[in-house]
Amino acid sequence: MNIYITDGTTDCFYTAVFAACTDRDCIVTSAKDFQLPLGARLVEVATDEEKCGRVRKKLRAIDGGALREISLILRRGCAEREMLALRYIRLLIEKNAPVRGMLSHPAVLEARDAIKKVTGEAHNFTGFLRFMEGENGVFYAPFSPDNDILDLILPHFLRRLANQPFVIHDVTRRKAALYNTRDCVIADTDERVSVALSEYEQGFQNLWKEYYRSVNIAQRPHEKQMKGYMPVRYWKFMPEKQDTN
Amino acid sequence: MIDAERLKILTESAKYDVSCSSSGSARANRKGGIGNAAPAGICHSFTPDGRCISLLKILLSNKCAYNCLYCPNRAEADVPRASATPDEICELTIAFYKRNYIEGLFLSSAVDGSPDSTMERMLETVIKLRKVYNFNGYIHLKGIPKADRLLTFRAAQYVDRMSYNVELPSEHSLKLLAPQKSKESVLLPMRELAAGKRALAEEKSKKKPRFLPAGQTTQMIVGASPEADGQILRLSQAMYRKFSLKRVYFSAYIPVVKHSLLPDKTAGLLREHRLYQADWLMRFYGFSAEEIAGEGDNLPEEYDPKCAWALRHMELFPVEINRAPLEMLLRVPGIGTLGAYKIVRARKFAALGFDDLAKMRIVLKRAKHFITCGGKFYGADNAATVKALLALEARGERYEQLSLFSGEGAVLPMPDAQENSEVRSGTEKRGAEARAQERFALLSTAANAESARTGQL
Ligand code: SF4
Repeated sequence: MNIYITDGTTDCFYTAVFAACTDRDCIVTSAKDFQLPLGARLVEVATDEEKCGRVRKKLRAIDGGALREISLILRRGCAEREMLALRYIRLLIEKNAPVRGMLSHPAVLEARDAIKKVTGEAHNFTGFLRFMEGENGVFYAPFSPDNDILDLILPHFLRRLANQPFVIHDVTRRKAALYNTRDCVIADTDERVSVALSEYEQGFQNLWKEYYRSVNIAQRPHEKQMKGYMPVRYWKFMPEKQDTN
Repeated sequence: MIDAERLKILTESAKYDVSCSSSGSARANRKGGIGNAAPAGICHSFTPDGRCISLLKILLSNKCAYNCLYCPNRAEADVPRASATPDEICELTIAFYKRNYIEGLFLSSAVDGSPDSTMERMLETVIKLRKVYNFNGYIHLKGIPKADRLLTFRAAQYVDRMSYNVELPSEHSLKLLAPQKSKESVLLPMRELAAGKRALAEEKSKKKPRFLPAGQTTQMIVGASPEADGQILRLSQAMYRKFSLKRVYFSAYIPVVKHSLLPDKTAGLLREHRLYQADWLMRFYGFSAEEIAGEGDNLPEEYDPKCAWALRHMELFPVEINRAPLEMLLRVPGIGTLGAYKIVRARKFAALGFDDLAKMRIVLKRAKHFITCGGKFYGADNAATVKALLALEARGERYEQLSLFSGEGAVLPMPDAQENSEVRSGTEKRGAEARAQERFALLSTAANAESARTGQL
């Protein structure tokens, strides 16, 4: 059995697919701590422009929407993401036609689930992301999403806050989008950065907490629903869920 | 800057307005401005009561000249009073918006002074917010009945949505419980705004002003007065048709105020929930109010209204999942718009069996009694058994509703889970379901055009 290890980039994944697609019981993964099964052969994949280009071209020819779907699947925060994408690709190649309507095929269902988790989380963070005003007028928003969605939510905030310099920081993946009202770049960062806050910041956070408390109907508790819609792991960066004050 | 104390008073008075949806408006950010409105609506937080926070819901003032019996802010009530200035509201909206706490503003007010002076201050607030503060996010304005038409129409050019709450489903009840209001005073601005919007839509000119891009909504209190569900649904249907309303919200009456004219018992969340289900059927499933309940009837408690309809029409079932037209799939209890849409899509590739439906995560507990898959039937075969099974299943749902409601003290209106899910639905659902829903909206308008009745408006 072959184990293809990729460096986590999309290009490297497509390079691996070139061989893995027909290599029936292989595994493709970018996980660093992957446990090798007995008798497995390790193949470290180096990105090959030509192979990855050919795979892309083939997929595009079969289904124009497939590349986007696969790019979404590869953003999943779970170790099996490459295998989900691979199974979906194999089905595409086997049918030589779009397969997203085959709603009772396991590979399609898995792929749909993965895509839904990624786009769903991106949608949620257009709401759950929280900015703080820095002393220098730059708004800073740290978050730690399950999936790699920084550049999926970015266009939304670039449109909405076009005149506001901001930083959106994925602290788990240690990268941040930096925007100065003209250009936007994504850069690698440390897990923690220290930001000096503006003198108004605490005041507005307090008003927000007051609002959050007042708008709640205390006689009608439904914590389960709240946590279902807004999972506890997201609370870390939301002022209304910090119990100081 | 507004202080925490007034914020508290003005928010606590506003929070019972059910409408939380910020969807339905696409407004682009202008150069030099802040914000835009996303057509899908976004939830920014959830409170411990399970509701979504999307908008900053606040009153400009809770000092009221009116005396609606059921309202905690009525003139006679002894409660702390406060008001905010237009600038205070604008500053707070902008500060919250920049931090991504909210999607926009939901501005409402008690009748502080006269309707005109109140509406003037509200108008001043929204104009400032748009022009001085350059805000392009979502604004919902709750209109003040009896205010001058010119004020109302100007406001409509600056905000995304307006609402006038009908509150009580008949003129008689309104007279009794809200003596300064009349049905006409609420319906008149709704009718005029709907006409204004229609007229503008027909206008050819390119540079038209914006006019309520997210339309109008309204709210009714259920159970403060004796009207039956059938009558409430007919009124809703007539308003959907005549005023092109985007939503009708229902809120179960809860006694906050003791008065001999008011019931001392709540209508209960189950009734509210059933009305929302019926409303859903009218908007997305092609049902008419007449099909759902007789004019003087209430919706059954035992099952949801779609089940109830199907049980009355057992002669139409079972339907074959691989052949039934979309409209019929939608009428199968337990199959939603998304489910129906999935079935129609998947059956193009292969005939669907019972297991395939399960794999597609279509819940079959109820549906199995009403469908066949490739000619095979998996449900109970006599109507009495089906009824008993469905009633049993609905019991769980009822208990949940009742336990929700067993908290101490006054319990006030809240949108049901379905409501929230409309606002918070993820991208995927939006795609598929929205498409499915659009088609049914079309279908049902076509059907309705034939049977259009004038309603009692
Ligand atoms: S007009 Fe509005 S605020 Fe005033 S008493 Fe009636 S419901 Fe309450």
